[in-house]
Amino acid sequence: MTTESVSFTVNDSERTTEVTGSETLLDTLRERMGLRGTKEGCLEGECGACTVLLDDRPIDSCIYPTAACAGRAVRTVEGVGEVDAPSLLQQAMVRCGGVQCGFCTPGFVMSLTALLEREANPDREAIQNAISGNICRCTGYTQIVEAVEAVLVESGRANTAQGATS
Amino acid sequence: MAIVVAESREQAQAAADAILLDIEEWEGITLERAAKGDARVIHPEWAKYVPTFGVDHPVSDNCACEVTAEPEGVDEAFARAAHIVEGTYSAQRQYRAYLEPKAATATYEHGRFVITTASQYPFNVRDRIAQLLAVRPSDVRVVGKTIGGGFGAKLDGWVEPLAALAAKVTGRTVSIRTSRAEDMLTCPTRDNATMTIRTALDAEGRMIGREFSCDMDNGAYSGEMPRLASLPLSIIGSVYKMHGPMRASVRLWYTNTAPTGAFRAVNGVYLYMAQEQHMDEIADLLGVDRREYRLRHLFTDGEKSRTGQVFEDASILRTAFDKLEEHAPWQEVLDGLKPNRGVGIAAGVWMTNPMPGEVTIKMYEDGTASLITAANDNGSGAVSMGLTQIVASALGMNEGDVRSSLPDTDVSGYDGGSRGGRTTAIVGTAALEASIRVRDKLLAVAAGLLEASPEDIELIDGHARVKGAPSSAVPLAAVAATATFTTGSISATSSYTSPPIPFDAGCASGALFTTMSTPTYHVHLAVVEVDEVTGHVEVVRYIVVQETGKVINPVGARGQVRGGVVQGIGYSLYESMRIGDDARLVERSLESYRLPLAVDVPEVEIIFMEHPDPLTGHGAKGLGEAPVVLTAAVISTAVRHATGKSFTAIPITPEDVLFALVDAESDS
Repeated sequence: MTTESVSFTVNDSERTTEVTGSETLLDTLRERMGLRGTKEGCLEGECGACTVLLDDRPIDSCIYPTAACAGRAVRTVEGVGEVDAPSLLQQAMVRCGGVQCGFCTPGFVMSLTALLEREANPDREAIQNAISGNICRCTGYTQIVEAVEAVLVESGRANTAQGATS
Repeated sequence: MAIVVAESREQAQAAADAILLDIEEWEGITLERAAKGDARVIHPEWAKYVPTFGVDHPVSDNCACEVTAEPEGVDEAFARAAHIVEGTYSAQRQYRAYLEPKAATATYEHGRFVITTASQYPFNVRDRIAQLLAVRPSDVRVVGKTIGGGFGAKLDGWVEPLAALAAKVTGRTVSIRTSRAEDMLTCPTRDNATMTIRTALDAEGRMIGREFSCDMDNGAYSGEMPRLASLPLSIIGSVYKMHGPMRASVRLWYTNTAPTGAFRAVNGVYLYMAQEQHMDEIADLLGVDRREYRLRHLFTDGEKSRTGQVFEDASILRTAFDKLEEHAPWQEVLDGLKPNRGVGIAAGVWMTNPMPGEVTIKMYEDGTASLITAANDNGSGAVSMGLTQIVASALGMNEGDVRSSLPDTDVSGYDGGSRGGRTTAIVGTAALEASIRVRDKLLAVAAGLLEASPEDIELIDGHARVKGAPSSAVPLAAVAATATFTTGSISATSSYTSPPIPFDAGCASGALFTTMSTPTYHVHLAVVEVDEVTGHVEVVRYIVVQETGKVINPVGARGQVRGGVVQGIGYSLYESMRIGDDARLVERSLESYRLPLAVDVPEVEIIFMEHPDPLTGHGAKGLGEAPVVLTAAVISTAVRHATGKSFTAIPITPEDVLFALVDAESDS
């Protein structure tokens, strides 16, 4: 099978890799680069488990050709935080119960990391819209939304806690 | 069946493409056709089949299990009835749609299989492999992995026996990973069913007799379904008092469709949907307020289900209605409804799976503890949060110093699986008992080190300390290490199962599952808004009043409720694995299988009523299944209230709503 060489950054590191013509970014990340934090849920861009950031915007890596990433910046969950130093959002996801089985979590973290970079103080509707391409079958979403609101409070972006729970 | 084993996906695909199948095509035998009783027999050899669970039960031709109750006096009740209310209700299949499709890896060496899989019930997978490959269970070792969601789909073996067989034949390590499309085709869905309830009422509106029938779809092969054919007897006719007998006929039908199976709260979701819609129809016929009618006939302490199970504390139901009333007064909710909105209210009883569980607690010489169990987290955090919290609290440790291991059937004691809300309640009890025994051993060793009596020592902050003398303390690390090099390292194992519940053995024939262990009581309320233009139904308010045991982890408990309610919203309004006329599944991808999204979800208002279970040391009862049980009941009755039209088939899609509204217009 013919391959071509593609160069792009992954979590700020320059990477050059051989890919086949139709190879998806998900396969490149998981199989060639060993970055297994990005998950395969459906292979058709429906569930959002494979969400990564391409030039700071969330995309479904399972239907995105790696060849189209040349010269661009890819960020995965491995670049968001370390096991010993999770991001504020990751900490809040755990604390607020925004994680149950955890399989969808990397995708949610990526979509929400992009939101938090894009908007200073998103309201509840904006948060819900930002994750409308991510499916979570366990949590019912509310505690994921609350985790984002907790980050806004903690980082001084929101003055009051929105939607505090009973 | 053929399995292709290859070294790459491309190779496997090419080999699979080269296989020619010679298939004798049959007519589609769907539930509707099978239930007529005259369809072609799908398993002509049915009489030779090994009965599911080893227990014989009535089977005949396409009927995979039949449960019937024929009490006396039903016809007499209908003969003297002042009113008769009859309704037929149906539910479609629901796909579990966990985010991680199934996968397994197998090796076969020295006459033993080793299977690695994200299983909810590793011992069941072990036994299934042993059964299918005709080896002893001990010839199979199942090692569990963290589970990317299961909801019942990962209780039985499916990819695991295939991987095991392929490993044996090839002598190589074999992995199977299903794509989403394969997962949807092969995952047993929540069963579709059709129910009819016919109730005789006296002049006072009391239910004096009932006929109930239920046809359930088994699909082509049986897993747990024959057991579940008994559950309707425990549910229909419970919660609300009947003053007379109920004739019941439940039939589980073989169809030549993909098999069905147990999904969170199993058939409870559609049974309560039917029962509560029926209650609304009765109340409307009598001209009584729907909540008032329910309150008048609510179970009280000591009331019995149709299987003769006594609900000792059923008056908790009334307390639940009271709590709901304090939070959201019924009349205020009704008066405050905006146009196109409706409200539904429902009550139910649910159970905790009583299967046994075992835990070993082992102290390390650094003062931390290991929690060894075959119970696996199915996303609930019951092991990694709940159980570790119970152990840490009993041993005076930080939660981070208790680590839970993943299941391994060679190492852990038997466990009945992550299901039925049992892990915190059942396995938690075993964990607490094992912790208490470990604590006693730690105290005995610490007594020697501190020159004090064990009764005077407490375990706190990772230390053994003389009560009232904080300076007389030794770290648990020192205690554990001393034990290891003197009396022996410290560990303890305990197991627990709920005691059996008495029932009336003569209540029915064919019943395999007759009681609801450790019952809990629930009242839900939903407000929906119906869009007259699109037919879309939005759940705008949802309240859960849930009786629980002791809540061990409040954040996790709320997450279980919210997740359950949202699965129920999907079940009620969007999700349907349709069966085509050719008996094949219509849905092949998530593109046409609509799941609830963040934008579809209301803020679920949660009121827990804690009643610690006196039988378990920590007081927890099953909590994770119940939140889904009443969702279709309240949402379907709320849509009925909003539109004035009955929606007796679940899910209630925008098309259904529009058709009903158009009919209503043409009627007027």
